[in-house]
Amino acid sequence: MTEQRTVQFRVFRYKQGRERPWYDTFDVTVTPRTTVLEALQFIRRVHDPSLMLRHSCHHASCGTCGMRINGQERLACITRVHDIAGERVTVEPLANLPIIGDLVVDMKAFYAKFTPMAMPLIRHSEFLPEAEPPEGVDTYTRLENCIECGLCVSVCPVAASDPLYLGPAALAAAWRVVQEPRGQNVPEILAQVDTAHGCWRCHIAMECSAVCPSHVDPGAAIMALRGTLIRQHLPWRRKQQGGDAHEPR
Amino acid sequence: MNRGELVPRRRWPAWFDVRGRHVSGWAFILNRLTGLGLVLYLIIHLWVLRLLTQGEARWNAFIALAKTPPFLVLDTILFFGIIYHALNGIRLTLVGLGIGVSAHKRMFWVLMGIGLVLFVLSTWGLWTMTK
Amino acid sequence: MSRQPWLEDAPPAYRGGDRWWLVQAITGILLLVLLAVHLIANHFIVEGGLRTYQDVVAYLSHPFVFVWEIVFLIVVTVHAALGVRSILLDLGPSPRVERIINGVLTLLAAAAISYGIWLSWVIRSQG
Ligand code: HEM
Ligand code: SF4
Ligand code: SF4
Ligand code: FES
Repeated sequence: MTEQRTVQFRVFRYKQGRERPWYDTFDVTVTPRTTVLEALQFIRRVHDPSLMLRHSCHHASCGTCGMRINGQERLACITRVHDIAGERVTVEPLANLPIIGDLVVDMKAFYAKFTPMAMPLIRHSEFLPEAEPPEGVDTYTRLENCIECGLCVSVCPVAASDPLYLGPAALAAAWRVVQEPRGQNVPEILAQVDTAHGCWRCHIAMECSAVCPSHVDPGAAIMALRGTLIRQHLPWRRKQQGGDAHEPR
Repeated sequence: MNRGELVPRRRWPAWFDVRGRHVSGWAFILNRLTGLGLVLYLIIHLWVLRLLTQGEARWNAFIALAKTPPFLVLDTILFFGIIYHALNGIRLTLVGLGIGVSAHKRMFWVLMGIGLVLFVLSTWGLWTMTK
Repeated sequence: MSRQPWLEDAPPAYRGGDRWWLVQAITGILLLVLLAVHLIANHFIVEGGLRTYQDVVAYLSHPFVFVWEIVFLIVVTVHAALGVRSILLDLGPSPRVERIINGVLTLLAAAAISYGIWLSWVIRSQG
């Protein structure tokens, strides 16, 4: 446990009003157990109190410490510095969301897309008796797994270029509602994702599922939404349902 | 301690940022690059075919040129692009319809195995048959 | 409250359904067969590889081949145009630019198909 070493932290910096972002590099002494989040807090405490970052729980449940560590989306609180190869660690804010300052991004757009799909479900899940997943159905744990960290949005190549793309987290939330509606209007949710910037925009890069720290598997959720939509529009299904499964908006 | 090293401006489109990517992310990028390459090839191909309206001599002269090694190298690249894009396209179609989603990585490697065989066979055929 | 607040500022053009991906996938699967036959027929059938002038004319004067190659031309052009559209849409164009993209690609695809049919017809009638 005393095995200490010094690691260079190259930290992305940006302050509003500045023309361009820059990197500051700090030396931090770490033990095998030091996490990236702890190292950043150390930098803030000792080297530069103006360093902005978000965190809360320190144990992968609040989802606020998402960032890019050596180019890879991770939760800083559960990423040990020792598990990262090399003597230099580059820390950058999440991509595809507006930067407020340093490592803090504006999550407003994220929630604007996510909340209408998911919030009712999250809010009521603990209180509704019918929210209990039946025995043997593990998929019911999905949305509650999403910690809204935004890693999936940061890694997604489509979110990178299309600002209107609904994004993996919101689409996963939508699929969760379709799976277990709990009184929500499923056709309406399906109508919302059945758009050029909804589930059809995804290019199946599956990066979202690879980085999700909470096993939400948004990629699979998006594919399931597409499958559902296509099955609904099969001509023989349409007749059965007496018309289009969901009317175009 | 080093302060103020400017973050370099990005020089590539956002979808082409390969840092920290996984297999399927690379697969997407390569799918897009081969797709664009194939579109470019299609345009050139259609344009070159107009030589067929300009008489036998023009076309046969072109075919003689097309059978020279530099053009065969281009054909080999073309075969690679087609085979990769086509086989990956099978996976994308299946997964995109919600079929075999959890097996998408295994599917990728199996298809790439098939692709390698097809690529070797077609390249071998191309270089041995062309005279 | 609107259920699509992220689209509130966006013009109505963004709100329609879009299943062109499906057409892209279907044309892709059709291309598996069409393209394989096209490649084998043009690279590996005639002695010595690629077809000479006489070979091409003979090939295209076969009615079935003629139809097959035209179908291939149409399917590959549609797939290519949709693919380019999909890449351009990923750049998040405004609805106006999106309409322009759709228009230009439709025109280009129609031009490519007409040109290809014309070309095949001319070649065929030289037989
Ligand atoms: C041979 C069989 C082929 C199959 C099975 C196939 C399949 C596919 C599929 C499923 C996609 C959608 C990918 C996505 O959503 O990201 C796609 C995209 C694309 N394809 Fe093909 N394709 C084939 C041949 C071709 C050919 C011959 C061309 C060129 C003329 C082409 C050009 C493109 C382009 C430009 C894209 C868009 C790439 C992107 O959005 O990133 N494809 N293809
Ligand atoms: S699977 Fe779709 S949503 Fe997930 S990272 Fe890829 S493109 Fe983005
Ligand atoms: S889906 Fe996963 S990666 Fe995306 S916000 Fe939720 S927990 Fe984070
Ligand atoms: S601090 Fe809560 S998830 Fe990292």
